[in-house]
Amino acid sequence: MYLSGAAHIGQAVAGLWPELAGGGGLSAVAGSGLLAALPDWRVLVQSPTTWGLVCGAVALVLMLPRGSAVARVLGGVVGLVALGLLAAGQPLLSDWLAQGLFWILAGVTVLSAAAAVAMRSAVYAAVWFAMSLLGTGSLFLLQGASFLGVATVVVYAGAIVVTFLFVIMLAQPEGHATYDRLTWGWYAKPVSVLAAALMVAVLTTALPGIRQIDALAALGESGAVERSAGVLHPSHMARFGAELFSRELVSVEVAGTLLLVALVGAIAIMIQGRRQAQAEESAR
Amino acid sequence: MDDPIRLLLILIPALPLAAAVLIGLLGPRVLRQQSHWLAIAAVLASFLCSLLLMRELSFLQRAAGAGGEVALGIGYEEVRRLWTWTDVADAYQQPRTPPGESRESLVGGGSRDFRIDIVLRADSLTCMMLVMVTLIATLVAIYSAGYMHGDPGYWRFFAYFGLFVFSMTMLVSVSNFVLLYVFWEAVGLCSYLLIGFWYQKPAAAAAGKKAFLVNRVGDFGFALGVFLIWTTYGTLNFHDSLRGGELEPARIQQAVAAERAGEVVPAEQEPVAGVFGPLRLADNELRPAGQPRTSAMISLAICLLLLLGACGKSAQFPLHVWLPDAMEGPTPVSALIHAATMVTAGIYMIARCTPLFLVSPDAQLVVSVVGGFTALLAALIALTQYDLKRVLAYSTVSQLGYMFLALGVGSLAGVTAGMFHLFTHAFFKALLFLGAGSVMHAMGNVIDMRRFGGLRRVMPVTYITFAVGCLALAGVFPLAGFWSKDAVLGAVHDKVHELEPHDSDSHGPAPHGPAPHGPAPHDSSPHGSAEGGGTQAVERPESSADDDVTPVFGLSNLLRGQIFHWLYLLGLMTSFLTAFYTFRAFYLTFHGPELIPPEAGRHAHESPASMTVPLGILAVCSALVGLLLDRSYLDGTNSFANWLLWTPSLGFPAAMRTTLPGEFHLSVAGWSTLMALGGIGLSSYLYLGSRHEIHGIRQFFDLAWVSGWSDVESFARMRQWRVARWVRECSAAVGLEWLLRLVVGALLLVVLVLSAPLLLLYYVSPYKLSYHRFYLDELYELVLVRPLRGLARLCYGIDRWLIDGTVNFVGRVPRQIGDVMRSLQMGLVPFYALAMVLGLLILLAVQLLG
Amino acid sequence: MNELALLQNYLLVGGLLFAIGLAGFLVRRNMIVMFLSAEIMLQGISVSLVAWGRYHNDWGGQMLVVFIIAVAACEAAIALALVLMLAKQTGRLDIVLWQDLREEGQPAYVDREVPEEREEDQVWPTLTPAGIEPEVDPEEELHRSRV
Repeated sequence: MYLSGAAHIGQAVAGLWPELAGGGGLSAVAGSGLLAALPDWRVLVQSPTTWGLVCGAVALVLMLPRGSAVARVLGGVVGLVALGLLAAGQPLLSDWLAQGLFWILAGVTVLSAAAAVAMRSAVYAAVWFAMSLLGTGSLFLLQGASFLGVATVVVYAGAIVVTFLFVIMLAQPEGHATYDRLTWGWYAKPVSVLAAALMVAVLTTALPGIRQIDALAALGESGAVERSAGVLHPSHMARFGAELFSRELVSVEVAGTLLLVALVGAIAIMIQGRRQAQAEESAR
Repeated sequence: MDDPIRLLLILIPALPLAAAVLIGLLGPRVLRQQSHWLAIAAVLASFLCSLLLMRELSFLQRAAGAGGEVALGIGYEEVRRLWTWTDVADAYQQPRTPPGESRESLVGGGSRDFRIDIVLRADSLTCMMLVMVTLIATLVAIYSAGYMHGDPGYWRFFAYFGLFVFSMTMLVSVSNFVLLYVFWEAVGLCSYLLIGFWYQKPAAAAAGKKAFLVNRVGDFGFALGVFLIWTTYGTLNFHDSLRGGELEPARIQQAVAAERAGEVVPAEQEPVAGVFGPLRLADNELRPAGQPRTSAMISLAICLLLLLGACGKSAQFPLHVWLPDAMEGPTPVSALIHAATMVTAGIYMIARCTPLFLVSPDAQLVVSVVGGFTALLAALIALTQYDLKRVLAYSTVSQLGYMFLALGVGSLAGVTAGMFHLFTHAFFKALLFLGAGSVMHAMGNVIDMRRFGGLRRVMPVTYITFAVGCLALAGVFPLAGFWSKDAVLGAVHDKVHELEPHDSDSHGPAPHGPAPHGPAPHDSSPHGSAEGGGTQAVERPESSADDDVTPVFGLSNLLRGQIFHWLYLLGLMTSFLTAFYTFRAFYLTFHGPELIPPEAGRHAHESPASMTVPLGILAVCSALVGLLLDRSYLDGTNSFANWLLWTPSLGFPAAMRTTLPGEFHLSVAGWSTLMALGGIGLSSYLYLGSRHEIHGIRQFFDLAWVSGWSDVESFARMRQWRVARWVRECSAAVGLEWLLRLVVGALLLVVLVLSAPLLLLYYVSPYKLSYHRFYLDELYELVLVRPLRGLARLCYGIDRWLIDGTVNFVGRVPRQIGDVMRSLQMGLVPFYALAMVLGLLILLAVQLLG
Repeated sequence: MNELALLQNYLLVGGLLFAIGLAGFLVRRNMIVMFLSAEIMLQGISVSLVAWGRYHNDWGGQMLVVFIIAVAACEAAIALALVLMLAKQTGRLDIVLWQDLREEGQPAYVDREVPEEREEDQVWPTLTPAGIEPEVDPEEELHRSRV
């Protein structure tokens, strides 16, 4: 069963890590030990995903603080290249239109996120974050999760980002500060970026392993009928609501309570802070 | 208890021990300044017990002698077993013919037990030592009550004192080499405690340590000797016994008879012949007669090892350095331990082991040479010391050397002379030390003779008693020292004549000496025959000890005779020096202009009665003891020697050699008296008159004139001489001045080179040698102490850096790791997040890829 | 549609978002930007969850995302309140100022050198003017906080 599942999905995965998807790579994964599990270096070198990740890391390094505006622009360009490379390494969706649409949205999301992280001004960062959220919402819509797409935009971009902006206005009235242009140690940037890149690398290396789980579900692409009765149901919102308030009712209540608690907590913190400030003032 | 001897033997050591324990327990709280009563009472009781024991023993001896049962050569002893200390069955496989025993053994072959019973013995030697030790200890205890008055460690002193008397009495009354060793160490310990009594004083602490360490060297030899005795003779007991511990002589005789008859006796009944037991002595089993050289080597080795031990305890030549330093202790201690009693332990041991030494004439020679050499060396050093107690200390070393000299002679005359000298010396040396202590007490602890003088009016009692002591030490006619020193010199003298080659046979009558064979002189006297009735009871198959023992050194009798002759002259010389330095100290202290150091304060008066009374008693003893005991000048009777004759170990040489004590040599006496008077006269001339002469003599012996010769300026002064000037002018006139300069320069060079040895001599001039104690301490410092200290440093270094370093390193590793980890705790929140992410990355990689 | 390819693409995008957020969280010192980064990370998770939900035809993924949004809202409320408190105490949003938890004896982290702010970086967001320009005292203009 496991083998049949593997063979079944193997063709679809072939584009990602070509050699790995074949028999040899699989046996390497099945073999014990971390080093043994690492793919052959030739596979790595030939894979566009590797180079995409390297480019992405370089782009991040260029864009993150202690970089100039030029470097940020350059980083953006390299980031685009990286995205292209990554896209090239990914398997094809149903057709070029879908492919193109997805990657445009993904590119907007990812690059906006990178820009949000890299901007010096916290205000710009928040604006770019909102942009990234719009991209995410679009991606949700593309997945057929229309409620989430809308909710993300409404809740995040509409509420949270605005809150952020408020706080930024309140807390950082001076605008640019030195700490926005600095990291906290010579090794912070390279190590962090490397860690991030490695994390993506590890996750993508593990992607082919999805089959093992999936083989049991035995759904794959052949499950179109089931999906149309499930998550892709035409009356999406009704099903979603029914699901939310039947199976997840308790969770919803808990989440509501959590929101209430957070509200109370935030107020408490503010009152406490105000008292402190008053005490300091009276002491003065 | 119906056995008085047993009771007395137990009481004598037990009383001082009880006193010591009581004082130790009650002293700091209850007794305090009254501690001395307990100690004095106990020691006095002990002394009375010793006297009673002597009386009992003499009755028993007379009874035995009258019955004719006991041969003189075997002596008479009473042994009492208290309990068994250790008993290891079959510890030693006795060969059928052990190297030290000439015949098919009388004491069975097979296995021996390592059995050590606590056995106390009573024989003449022990009794004599007990009486002497307890008497001196009593007097010193009374004296100490005055001397130590007010000392913060008063009770401690008397506790140590009691412990010491216990140890010493046990030392002389035990009947086993192991126990002897135990108490040998115990007196060493007490000595250490008492020398370092004022332990706050660095010099005292160092002196105590030095005494202890130097004694360790000797004790090491002693221990090896004891081991060798065990492997050679298979027993460490002095006395005979049965294997089961039975001591009854009749039972032993029975067992021996049974064994000789070839009967199979049970293991419990097997006789074990003690090293100095009658069984072995009667059959002369100790000597390696007709044995191969190895056995002679073993005998020699045993003796030399024992001698090493004795040298340590009795401060003989290579190991004598501790005794003068021991004067740092309280003066009563110096008197008791370092003059009268403890230092005689070595003498006692050698005397006790006389049978062992008799079978090795080489060892005897070594004993004599060591003794004679030490006597002279110490006397020479004593000449120039300014510390009163140190003079006396060196005098003690010198007198102990005399005793060794006498013991080494090996004849009964020699051994008894040695013991007699020990006995008399105890009195007058204790007297001198206590006198010195009295002076010191009055002078506020100043002991440098240059800082006081003319004390005869200040301290009349001390003056008179000290004078008696000095006369006795110098050996002036009727006083004790005369008799005993004379006995020593006479014994050596006899030995010289005995060793001279004779025409007929090796043991014909010597010109001066007594006849080695035939009826001994003292036998003719009724008294002597009564006491030594058994003299001829044992017929010696051998005639002389020297004929049938193989000398290891291979010295001929002639050579040995010459050596002893030189030793005799050395002894005479020493007696001259003794008289000189004794009276030098005496005059410096009591005569001359009155000089009292400021430290004395208001104390510069005669000492209290508690100190002067013992002085008086000792003075009387010193004066009379020789006269009373040695009546050889009258009828050839030496009561002391006759008494000692009953000792098993000491009767042995008499039986072997029949050279009996008591011969009074007029010529020897004359010479020694002459020497003593000469010494006294010389010092009277030098120290009673102006001090100018003595200064000149000191300058002469210090080779002060050498420094003048080695002085370059004196040469420069020569240029001023008229002749020199005339020669120079003449040569200048002739124009040969350059030649003159050349010649003079060459001459100067030659003179300088020649004077180099003189210069060297200047630094080791006789005076300096003597004053600096022949640089022996410095030599030891250089040869032993420094290298040892270096070695200790090395060990310390290894311990410190290598071993500790390793341990510390192991301990430091977690710390270092911790320090590294500490530096990670930098408080930066992003850093923690980064670390968390890295960890997460690893987990993720393991989880997804593994 | 190729569901597996879709899943993989979404997972990749989710991973990238997560990684970018992570890098930002670790590198940036501004507390608010750090929060933004954390939100980006949450976005990455949300994208992955939705993709999984679709692939498995399970509502669970979307449900979880709903809760993530709720939790993010809570977090934003609490955290921003805290940030405000902290910012009030020091007047700055610098996370490096809060290193009191370091080991005793450890030297505090301080910036070795502060780079000069270049002219071209002095770019401020501008709002298009609208309405009547308010009367502003020149004195106040001088001391006004620049936003």
